[in-house]
This record gives sequence, structure tokens and C-alpha cells, in this order.
Amino acid sequence: MTVSVETRRSRVTVYAKSTAPSLTPVKPGKTHEFTALDHSMSRHSVHLVCYYRQAPTVTMTALKESLCDVLSYYPAMTGRLVKNEGDGCGEWMVKCNDAGVRMVDARADTTLDEFLATATDEEERQLAYWEDVGSDPYLWSPYCIQFTDFKDGSMAVGISCTHFHADPTCVAVFSRAWSETHRRALVTCPPFFHPWAFYPRKNPVPSSPHLSEKSTIPPPLHPPAMSSVTFAFSASSVRQCLADLQLSNLSPFDALASLLWLQISSYKSASLGTAQLTLAVDCRRRMSAPLPLGFYGNALHFFGVKADLSSGWSHIASELNRHVSGIKEDDVWSSVEWLHERSKEKAFQMYGPELTCIAWDNVPVYNAEFSPGAIPVYVGCRIGNVQGEGLVVIMAGAPGEGEEARTVIVTLPTDLTAQIYRDEAILKYGPKIMFSPNI
Amino acid sequence: MPAQPLPDFSTSVRLKYVKLGYQYLVNHFLTLLLIPMIATCVLELVRRGPEELISVYNSLDLDVIHILCSSFVIIFVLTVYYMSRPRPVYLVDYACFKPAPSCRVPFATFMEHTSMICEDPKSVQFQTRILERSGLGEETCLPPANHYIPPNPTMEAARAEAQLVIFSAIDDLIKKTGLQPKHIDILVVNCSLFSPTPSLSAMIVNKYKLRSNIKSFNLSGMGCSAGLLSIDLARDLLQVLPGSNALVISTEIITPNFYKGNRRDMLLPNCLFRMGAAAILLSNRRRDATRAKYRLLHVVRTHKGADDRAYRCVYQEEDSDGHCGISLSKDLMAIAGDALKSNITTIGPLVLPMSEQLLFFFTLVGRKLINPTLRPYIPDFKQAFEHFCIHAGGRAVIDELQKSLQLSAEHVEASRMTLHRFGNTSSSSLWYELNYIESKGRMKRGDRVWQIGFGSGFKCNSAVWKCLRTVKTPVDGPWAECIHRYPVDIPEIVKL
Repeated sequence: MTVSVETRRSRVTVYAKSTAPSLTPVKPGKTHEFTALDHSMSRHSVHLVCYYRQAPTVTMTALKESLCDVLSYYPAMTGRLVKNEGDGCGEWMVKCNDAGVRMVDARADTTLDEFLATATDEEERQLAYWEDVGSDPYLWSPYCIQFTDFKDGSMAVGISCTHFHADPTCVAVFSRAWSETHRRALVTCPPFFHPWAFYPRKNPVPSSPHLSEKSTIPPPLHPPAMSSVTFAFSASSVRQCLADLQLSNLSPFDALASLLWLQISSYKSASLGTAQLTLAVDCRRRMSAPLPLGFYGNALHFFGVKADLSSGWSHIASELNRHVSGIKEDDVWSSVEWLHERSKEKAFQMYGPELTCIAWDNVPVYNAEFSPGAIPVYVGCRIGNVQGEGLVVIMAGAPGEGEEARTVIVTLPTDLTAQIYRDEAILKYGPKIMFSPNI
Repeated sequence: MPAQPLPDFSTSVRLKYVKLGYQYLVNHFLTLLLIPMIATCVLELVRRGPEELISVYNSLDLDVIHILCSSFVIIFVLTVYYMSRPRPVYLVDYACFKPAPSCRVPFATFMEHTSMICEDPKSVQFQTRILERSGLGEETCLPPANHYIPPNPTMEAARAEAQLVIFSAIDDLIKKTGLQPKHIDILVVNCSLFSPTPSLSAMIVNKYKLRSNIKSFNLSGMGCSAGLLSIDLARDLLQVLPGSNALVISTEIITPNFYKGNRRDMLLPNCLFRMGAAAILLSNRRRDATRAKYRLLHVVRTHKGADDRAYRCVYQEEDSDGHCGISLSKDLMAIAGDALKSNITTIGPLVLPMSEQLLFFFTLVGRKLINPTLRPYIPDFKQAFEHFCIHAGGRAVIDELQKSLQLSAEHVEASRMTLHRFGNTSSSSLWYELNYIESKGRMKRGDRVWQIGFGSGFKCNSAVWKCLRTVKTPVDGPWAECIHRYPVDIPEIVKL
């Protein structure tokens, strides 16, 4: 069903493109290899946008200088993709050739507050400029940083990168390191380059029924157009949700993820039965030899949760809770080893075609303070190339809204998005609706 | 065991001692002549005794008039001699612009941008080959406007670059010398490719609030050798104005000169030219003699523009697509060698010790009169100078000069390392090289420096400086943070 919409002209204009080198040259011959998890994510991209109020030290020129400074710690970011001819495996790896990251300058024809109140999904996407790999990967920058100036002097910093290199946590930790470098403070989570972190164990048990199933699903012939909407739940709304569930030991994630799963599924088909939801959880801290937060690369564990949707919201929520808290390290290793076995084959769609949800609310994202005491007003995160039934990202909410506040970014086929953001059950909790599609 | 006949080595050692003896004899000929004469006179005086000396004096029958007239003549001659001597020109100090590392252009970034901007893959390949063999390093810097894809060469960006490089250098110089801007009497600025109205010298007068009766000059279009031309102009002015100082600024503004086309002979400047500037304070005041670093001994200018080939060798013109660029002809090295030979012929007699000049003269006479096949004698300039600053125009220029002047690797180290760290900064490169030598702690009192610049026209200019005080390390300047890493080994080809 096509809906004719009046598309408003976008207020964001990109006017210049350049490249930022690192301050210190990289030693020639340095390389960075990818793990099996990195290879599996190669079809997607990560986009993180942080919005800042006007401050004397937060200007485009100053930010570009500190970006060059922090890049000295991230030689893998300034490198380029090459095929690893060395040990004959022919896989992609990063040659740290010191080429730098792409920078894009843009301006928005509105003030920050007005933008946050009235911007569409399309306009928010334009704050994180992204170009897919062209004909020559050696000339393509896997990172792109956009600086957008608002009319009132506020600024939005959009960091886009290929999911090959980094997962959302990695990008958030980078923005924090960048802000600490800008303030001339100590970098609390320096990058940890360790591609052997996910090397198969001595006695590997490669098995991932969930991922095997995903890999066999053929890509759709006519993938539907996707659009997104953002729900910003304040702490009181989340507490209300938890109160309504009447179960103890549930986290805000359980409540919100189950609510959205239930509502989205109810729009897809009239009758609800057993359904499966793919969850993606950051497993840096879940390994027995925990990886530091600064671990550079992907550490998202994908697994499936089955629940009977007709049993009601509370049941779904408790099922989610049970599965998330019950993740065993062995499962993580098994799925890593399974991916390692098939790493030579083409990567398949990780976010999709079935409904996926990323549990990202335990990762702090509002700590990138470019000027002392000035945290971002809002932080948004998107994943590129989501297809199929859609993606739900649950991340920490703006600090002003309270500790339990959450921001939920829902990406669905366009006609579903139109329905979900008018959904009564969700609107009952009074979330602020941001970046809705242009309708 | 019988002594084996010594090989050629012994003859060459003997030759070396002969040569050394010859040099000492000829160069100190006057001293060797005067000392015995003075000794003889002193002995004679001592032998004769004071009474005999007084009687000799009385016999001369001098009276007051004679004494007064002779003293007057002596004083008159001495005054004429001192007044007609050229005023000494001292280099009080100089400062070079240090670019911010965020303006750095690594090879990979340069090649990526070139591939994205240039439509012709052959040009991209050509530029890759140039960069591989250029002798540049990974830390050379381009102005901010050239970092954009495509570069954004507006006049505002060019002025911004000019203000950045020139004002940084002048601020540095003011800090080092305690110079007060309102005490500057002469201002000479040279910047070949960017000449706005009002001029760059007017921009400096405006920024530093210089005096209204300042003698300011702005030299543009004079190429990479214009730095020494400005020094020459400042020196000539300092001969006419007593008790003055001169501020000389040498720079090249890169922003407006990015070549957008595909002609190969015009692509070289894109690859080699980098941001840089130098500010030099010259003075003819006596009180600056004690704190000055160098004294200017000679400036020799050679202009080969009368020859058509030399005139067209570095030529700015539009290509067939209308893009403006500077074309470098294939016989650039030959013409440079020619210009250098002319310059050496003029500067040789001024700086070479008598031993070398005599050898050259006798070989010349021998070639002309006795045997035309005699090899021409190339004077050994290493005896005239301790340090050489060769314009870091490119690896080929330095190689060519090293060969023709028979210099060792250490003599051209300053030029090669400057090319590696800062690229071809045009007229200011000579000052970066001088700063390298100082930073390495090699500049001692009494050392002589030869600065050679080449530029469009075709011009070859030389300046000879004498060091007045040993420069102590560490030296504050563009090399301060990286001097410990140098010298580096620069490979013939860097694989990109």
C-alpha cells in the first residue's frame, strides 16, 4: 500500500568533505586483523549522533584538531581495507597506511531544540554522512565523521562506520576518548586492539542453530523500504511500565523490549502465537576473561528467544529476562567458533530478516563531554542496512530524564512504522516521539 | 718477510700531504712572509738600543707642522677608508613557521584525494610515481584549504594561510629577539604566487602597526630563489640607511596554486610544494654585532633569463582545458647546472682560498695554452665553507648539486632532511635547512655557510654568511620536537 506523502525539504546541507590525519604518523607495515565476529557484521554500518549545546570550546575547528589527536591512538581507524594475501586466506584486513578518516562539514537551517522537536527520520539520517564502499575499497574510508552546525551555535557530531570495524559500543567508547582528548583529560578507556580475543578455543564446539538458520534464509527479492521512529521514555514512564507488569526482578529493557515485540507482532498478523525474537547483547563483560570496554571490534552475541505471544506481556517480559540473564559463556564461544568456521563464505544479513532487538542500555553513551560538564543533549544510534521485519535498539536515555529513562529506536517497514508510532499501548506511557518518518 | 712494495695507497697519502702543505703555504703566504720580517725588525730595533733610535728620530728634523700634516694625512686616509667600507649587515636572528601536525598530508591521504579529484587515471599513476621517488616524508603539511575534496582555493583561504604562516613566524621572531614592531625600518616580503591588493607587506604593517615611514617592499613572481633576492635588497637598503634594521619575510602561499588539470609537466608542484615561511631580522647597527648570529659576507645573483630555454624552463601558463599551472621543462636540471656554473664562477674568487684559485688558474691556463684535454679543475668548495644549504627543490636538484660540487652526504644532509620533513617550501627552505644545522649543534663561531637558491627565470642566487657566535642546542624552532629522530634513511622509492 503506497501512501502519497508531502516530503518537506531537508534543512541539513552538506557543504564540504575532507580527511583528518592522525597527529603522529603510523609506523609503516602495521596491520589490524578482523575476528570472525567482525567478518559476520560486514553487511551493516553503525551511525552514532551526539548533539551538543553551544560552548566556546566546541567549535568545528577545535573538534577537528582533537579528532586528529585522538586518531593517534586508533591506527586501525585511519587504515584501509585490503585482502590479506599473507597467509593465503584472502580475507579482508586493515592496512594501517595512515590515510585518515573522512570528515564532512554540514549546516542545519534551524536551532537545536527545534530540530530535536521537529526533525524527521530522514533529517536525522543526514546528520551522519555515509558512503558505501565504492569500486576501490583501498580508497574508501571506513569511518566518516560529520560536523553539523545549528543556527544557534549548537553542534551535532555524527560518527558513521562500517560494522566490520566496530560495534555501537566501540563507537561510543571512541567518542568518549575523543571528548577526553579534547578536554586534555586522561583517556579512561584507551583502545584495546586484540583480534585474537575471539579466536576459537583449544577444543572448539562450533554450533549455533540460530545463526545456521539465519544463514540459510535467502535474501528477499523486493526488500521493503524501511523507516524509523524514536520513542524517548522518561524514568517515570519506564517505572510505570514495570509497575504494570507486576513482576519483580525485571529490568527496563525487559519491559520495553517485550512491549515493542508484542505490539509490532500484533500489527504484522492478527493472531499471535509462538514467535522468535533475535537478541543482540554486548558480551565484552560476559566472558570469563572479560574484555575491557575499550576492546576495538565487534562483541555482539546474537541469539534467539522464543515466546508465546498470546500468553501476555508479563510472560514475554519474564521470558526475555530469563534468556538474557541466562546467557552462558559456552554459547557465546560456540557461536563464535561456528562463525569462524564459515568465515570464508559471504557474510549474511545479521540484522534481519526476522525482528531483531539490541540490548544496549547497559552501555553508557552520555559521557562524551567535549567541554567540562557539558554532556550531550541527546544521543541517537542507528544501524545501516536493516532489512526484513525490522530492528529495535534500546539504549540509555538522556540523563535529565532519570536513571531508568530509555531511548528506543524502532526501524520497521514503512507502513508498519506509520502504525507503530500511533500505537495506543505504547503511547499510554507518554513517550516523547522524535524523528518520525516524513508523514 | 721482505717488505712488500706499498700499493697506490702510499702514493695517494703522499699526494695528500703534498696537497696539504701546498694549501698551508699558499693560504698563509702573507703570514709566512710577514712573521720573519717582523722578527727581523724587532731584532734590529733591540740590537740598536733606545739611544740610537732617539738619535735617528732627532736627525729627521721633524717639527710640529710636519707632525700635524702627517697625522692629518693618516687620519684623512683612515676616515675615507672606513667611510667607504660597506656597512656590515648582521643577521640578528630568524624564525621559521612550524605547521600544526593536523595539517599533515600522509602519502596515502594525498593519493586518495588525487584519485578522487583527478579524472585521468594516468595522471594519478604519474603523481604516485613522483611521490614515491620524491624524498618527502609523511609529516609534510598543506594548508587547510587543500585538505578538502576538491580543494577550496578561495582568496579568503589564501589570505588566511598567509596570515597563519607569516604571523606565526613573525611572532616567533619577536619572542626570540625582543624586537619592537615600531622599530622596524625596512620590510621586504617575497611570495611568488600570491599577490593580493593590498600587498602582503601591507597586511603585516596593518597587523603589527608598523611606522608610517617604513620602507616596505613586496616582491612577487620571482620564484623559489626570491628569498636571497630579498636579502640582497635589504642589504642594499641597509647600506644607504645608517643604524637601521630590516625584517625580511620569505614564504610561498600554496592555497591558490593547486593545479586541477592533467598535464604531466604541471603536476609536479602539486606533489612537492608544501606550506612554510621564514622571518629574518637583519641589522647594520653596531650594538647588534654582539648579539647577532651571522654576518652577511656576499650575495651573488646570476640571471640566465637572456637565454630563451632558461626563460621558459619554469613557466606558468594555462593548459588546453584552461587550468592554470606551472610547467617544469625536461631540461630543468641541465639549465640549473649551467646557472650554478655561472654563479660559482662569480663567487669562486670571492670565497675560495688562494690555493684553490691558483690551482684553478693554472689548470685553466694549461687547458688553453698547453693541453686542451686536461681535465678542468673543480675547485673544492668544502675548503671555503663548513655548511651548505641547497634549496630543497626536489631530490634531483640535491643529487645534482652533490655530484657537481663533490659534496659528502653530511654536507647535503640538511637539504635532504628538510625536504623529507617539510617538503619543498620554496624560498623559505634555506632557512629550515639552516635551522637543522643549528639544531644538530654543528654551527660554531667562525663557520661559513653557503646558501644556494634556484628559481624561475632562470636564476641561481647565493648568499654567504659567517657565524658570529656558537649556537647552543637545544634550538627553539621547527625542528625542536623531531630533531632527535633525524637524520633518517630515505629510501630511493617508497612503495605506495
